[in-house]
Amino acid sequence: MTDERSSPKTKKRKKINWAPYWLILPSLIYLALFFIWPMFRGLGLAVYNDEAALALQSEPSRDAATAGTLPQGTQVEILDQQGNLIPPEEAEQANLITEVWFQISAEDADGNPVEGYVSESRIRVREENEAGIPTAGSVRTRIGAGAGTLTDIYSEANENADVVGQLEARAEVAISGLEILEIWYQIRGEDNGQAVEGWAQSRYIQVFGETETGRIDRGNTGQFTTEYISRMVNDRFFWPATITTFLLMLLIIPVQFVLSIVMALVIQARLKGNSLFLYVFTIPLGISELAVGILWFSIFTQSGFINSFLQTTGLINTPITFLSADTRYWILIAIWLAEVWRATSIVMVIVVSGLQGISDEVLEAAELFGATLWQRVRHVILPMLKPSLQVALILRTILALQVFAVVIALSGGDVVTVLANETFRQYSDFRNANVAAAYAALILVISMFSAVVYLRMIRSQEEMAA
Amino acid sequence: MSTTISPKDTIQPVEASAEVKAVHQQMLRRQKLNRAATYGVAILIALWILVPIFLLGSMAFTTPEAVRTYPKGVLPFIPFSFETMNFFLQSEGIIPGLINSIIVAIITLVLSTLIAAPAGYATSRFLFPGRDFFRLSVLAVRAFPIVVLSIPLAVVFINLGMYDSVYSLALMHTALALPTTILVIGSVFASIPYELEEAAQVFGCTPFEAFRQVVLPLVLPGIAAAGVFTFVMSWNEVFAASILTVQNRTLPAQVLAVLGQSSEPYQFAGGFFMMIPALVFIFFIRRYLFNMWGQVSK
Repeated sequence: MTDERSSPKTKKRKKINWAPYWLILPSLIYLALFFIWPMFRGLGLAVYNDEAALALQSEPSRDAATAGTLPQGTQVEILDQQGNLIPPEEAEQANLITEVWFQISAEDADGNPVEGYVSESRIRVREENEAGIPTAGSVRTRIGAGAGTLTDIYSEANENADVVGQLEARAEVAISGLEILEIWYQIRGEDNGQAVEGWAQSRYIQVFGETETGRIDRGNTGQFTTEYISRMVNDRFFWPATITTFLLMLLIIPVQFVLSIVMALVIQARLKGNSLFLYVFTIPLGISELAVGILWFSIFTQSGFINSFLQTTGLINTPITFLSADTRYWILIAIWLAEVWRATSIVMVIVVSGLQGISDEVLEAAELFGATLWQRVRHVILPMLKPSLQVALILRTILALQVFAVVIALSGGDVVTVLANETFRQYSDFRNANVAAAYAALILVISMFSAVVYLRMIRSQEEMAA
Repeated sequence: MSTTISPKDTIQPVEASAEVKAVHQQMLRRQKLNRAATYGVAILIALWILVPIFLLGSMAFTTPEAVRTYPKGVLPFIPFSFETMNFFLQSEGIIPGLINSIIVAIITLVLSTLIAAPAGYATSRFLFPGRDFFRLSVLAVRAFPIVVLSIPLAVVFINLGMYDSVYSLALMHTALALPTTILVIGSVFASIPYELEEAAQVFGCTPFEAFRQVVLPLVLPGIAAAGVFTFVMSWNEVFAASILTVQNRTLPAQVLAVLGQSSEPYQFAGGFFMMIPALVFIFFIRRYLFNMWGQVSK
């Protein structure tokens, strides 16, 4: 970037000009929110388990002291249970086991008006308002010996509260409100041979049929873990994916560079119809990866264009199977061709921009002195293009890590796989965001490594330009 | 040798020797040959790019029967028909996917242009402490792959209840498009000399008027090109779209999701359909592509 154009502003530099900062602020905020933060979150997902352990309370209350922690998955004994009021916004949470209590007013067994709370299980709802909230009902008949026929009414939504009255079976009640209680369990489990006992909310516990045992379904305390990374590394697709990713990079990038330099030289030769050639050469730049995958699938599939051509010209009698598990190398070749076809345009555009920076005089001088095309490329063009080529190289390396839809289109995503595809598979098919994040983190590390080189290169170029 | 040249000497043509003529002839021939060779290479590369597109286009615009026959033919040797394309467009989820794709692409385009234009202007018009750092960060951010962002954003969107929505996908696509858009718009502004703005101010325009009346008309085509590029990028993007949407899939995500179970007419017509914006839009913005990517190597 040249500096003279900003001269009028720079002269009065003594006072800080805040205008540019205000102008870049929106993009800074946006990038922080949607780029930098997710990046760290992603790294976190890969190494941190939010639900690794469950902290138990000494009393069935969130404010009570912590009685100890048990890791996720521990088998526990359930000793007792109790309902506790939860705020309505938490009632939507997954895996809650709740009890509903109605606030009612009615006439008690003695005919006196009484107000209080009674469990939902004791009331048959008769009327509801438009919102579906019960407004009136009647007391259910008690079944079973020894229970008595009367239903207790409590002063609070809690069976340990005072009894304020008793209702007869089938007594009419008006329902004025309801309260939702979450069950707390008193559990006992073992962690490293040590027994831990305490209270925990139902949302964390999976209770087995007979309600005397259960297991800790998820914890509420996070812990760093290498579990996801080791699961990634031990996945049977991990090594094939890593090897294929790097193999494809090695195969694609050199060919792309040679081809893109040839294309750029053609464009630079300014032939008649140059604009048309430029258009055609840049078309693949705008084509989606998936479409390119389908395109090359149509060429390589068993009834595809290669077989059709060979068959029509009489070179083969039966179609060759290219894209099968037995012919992995053909799948690799197809992916290689597809990627070279698709992504060479970007490299070409960068190279052409770089070529435009080389003055025509230099090239003409070289030509005048009788340098052959090869000599010009080798000794004039390539050295002067070095900065552009380095940038293109890094950009390509990073883009090569994203090859994804081409692989799915050409191999179904199983036979030949790459890192990006494994990230997708872990997330979409196995519903395992953490292992997917581990894959993403691996790609991030490789990209970051490239980006550091990339940044250093640009800095040194800017120093050179200055 | 005389040091003075008489006018006669310069006027009278000197017969070149046979040797010089031969060398000249040889050079001309070589130049012609070079030119012919360059044409040859140019046409070969053009064919390498165009023939596959033509093959797929042949499959998209014929009858499904012609697609299924083996050996496959190409247009015009097979019947021309819109049947395959119609079959694709009428398949389940394609029209909603198309609408979603367009919504996402347009929101992305508008949002990224609105956010990037001021930043692009700032980096090209002001020299401020931290400018280089800002530009370097933008470049660095552009280097990160989509794959890395999609998973954490999916988790965040699930927690916020924004998952499976075209709007959250557009937010993500904006993040992807933003770095490029900032750099391109910056280079577009940089190509307009500041003196023009100054001159307008000398003639009595306020800074804002100068911007609106002089700079804006000049940069609009470049900004439009950046917008078109953003549109195409969002239209093509398949990884994040597949991760972030389930019911409200965009077109590429929908095609990818059913790719394994779909028939060849569906795949080929779908593949070609997704290429159409590239074929159309690249034609209009090809000049600006060098603005966009040339920036990186400056």
